[in-house]
Amino acid sequence: MEIYNLFSSDISAIFISLKLALITCFFLGLIGTPLAYYLAFKSKASKSFLEAVVTLPLVLPPTVIGFYLIIIFSPDTYLGNFFIMLTGEQLIFSFYGLVLASVIYSLPFWVQPLQSSFERIGKDTIKTANTLGANSLDTFKNVIIPLSKRGFLTSFIISFAHTMGEFGIVLMVGGGIHGKTKVIAISIYDHVEQLSFGKAHFLAAGMLILSFIILICLFYSNRKSVVRIK
Amino acid sequence: MTNLYVKLEGKIGNILIDFEHNFPLKGITVLYGPNGSGKSTIISAIAGFSHNLKSKIIYKKMVLDNGIKVPSYKRPFGIMFQDPILFEHLNIKQNLDFADRRSKPKVGTQKIISKNELINHLDLLPLLDRHPENLSGGEKLRVALARTILTKSEYLFLDEPMSDIDIKYKAKLLIFLKMINKKFNIPILYITHSIEEISQIADNLILINNGKKIDYGPAQDILNNNSFQNLIGKFESSSVLEGLLKSSNKPFNMTTLDINGQRLIVPGKPRLENNKVRVRIRSRDVIVSPVKLDFFIVENELEGVVSKIETETNTAFTELVITLINKKSAKKFQTLRARITTYNLQKMKLRMNSKVFAYISSVSIDRQAY
Repeated sequence: MEIYNLFSSDISAIFISLKLALITCFFLGLIGTPLAYYLAFKSKASKSFLEAVVTLPLVLPPTVIGFYLIIIFSPDTYLGNFFIMLTGEQLIFSFYGLVLASVIYSLPFWVQPLQSSFERIGKDTIKTANTLGANSLDTFKNVIIPLSKRGFLTSFIISFAHTMGEFGIVLMVGGGIHGKTKVIAISIYDHVEQLSFGKAHFLAAGMLILSFIILICLFYSNRKSVVRIK
Repeated sequence: MTNLYVKLEGKIGNILIDFEHNFPLKGITVLYGPNGSGKSTIISAIAGFSHNLKSKIIYKKMVLDNGIKVPSYKRPFGIMFQDPILFEHLNIKQNLDFADRRSKPKVGTQKIISKNELINHLDLLPLLDRHPENLSGGEKLRVALARTILTKSEYLFLDEPMSDIDIKYKAKLLIFLKMINKKFNIPILYITHSIEEISQIADNLILINNGKKIDYGPAQDILNNNSFQNLIGKFESSSVLEGLLKSSNKPFNMTTLDINGQRLIVPGKPRLENNKVRVRIRSRDVIVSPVKLDFFIVENELEGVVSKIETETNTAFTELVITLINKKSAKKFQTLRARITTYNLQKMKLRMNSKVFAYISSVSIDRQAY
């Protein structure tokens, strides 16, 4: 009976991790894509500032981000209060708190590949599209997106994998509540702490194989520099 | 107003742009100037992309730029940038369709060239299913040119459209552009570095240097002006003669031009007789003699009078301006420049108003776009 419970807890951790990674990527697409576009094509002074902000999660220890997020998410801040008004639930230790934290933490992983992909396309391509009668939206839809398919794929895969593997922030902000905010990485940690190496092996090997397959797919799709639509 | 008025002021990199011009809405105007003189910047501004310049652009009665900019995609212009970009994710047919689908609405009774005609004229049929990455530089330029024309714009701006096209094909494309200009009434602004192209295609010529317009006028006048000669340097010094296509000698592939009653034989076969053509003759290719030679050394002998002697102080050379005799009327004269050594000038005892004979080999005359 006990074995069954633990096993079901692992399954739920897997589902929460997958759900978290997918929803995070969705929001990254919404927020990170315009950001990458702005960073790739605007050469204003504000660019360096923004670039630094986007890159911060890459260099900061996860505990630092986690610490500040706990403070920001607490019910007596505007954000925390607003979330309680909206859902009747606290943002901290909730799944959506996790999503928000993951979006912040994985932002550079979405923005950077996409930004360099946009930069490779270059301003002149956009100008060319404009002179051929395409407005900005038309150009984005019919020129930029098809030309940066590879960039989108890279951003998605890396952000997805990175969100799946997140530990420090998830533990601090989510608290590792079973069935709610307990993801694979925390499950593994718990198993190891309880010396249940067998269960830890099961999850760890799963993550290892999944990450490896994802990276192989990524590099395989990147071996040709131009992605074409037939 | 039936002009395109352009005024640009500001600094781009190291050049101070201060350019103002009223472009006529007919003919082919060539913009010529040394590298870094601001030619491409002007086209860029007309296209709507120079945000660092103070600009005023008025087309007919439409204000396109005067503080508030009409966005590029709404401007009635067809722009082809230098080193044009084809969309890598589309094949050639799709690249053409991209422009075709977004082409500007037809204005009045304006005649428009059809896509199929364009494909035929520019020999694009074998390229349609191919992708840009598999095209040569010249092929890409032809596709980009077709794509620009397909925008069905009222004015074409072409930035060095022939830079990568081989000489054999160039003549054909120049004829094509002239046809587009005449038959479909589309004015063209053309940037080039090639004096051959200018002399063959330009109706009007604008010279710019360091961001400023230094001369403007009918091409033949400007080409023979000092300002132009100074810009291109002495080695490239040349003159342009205008003549009527007379007859062709088919077996020899030669054509006779009538230069105000004098005869000039040039290589190639004309398409249309009695058409005005311009040929460029490099000053260093002209041999000057004070006496008429009574044996045949080259195909062409032009008679004239020395009207200017420019002796250079630090070189061995002297440049002669020869006013050619007009056997038809005494009104319009054409001039020919000849570059000789000062040594030879003195040996021949040439002075102002000396009668001279200029000998020019047909070999030294560029292949023509008649």
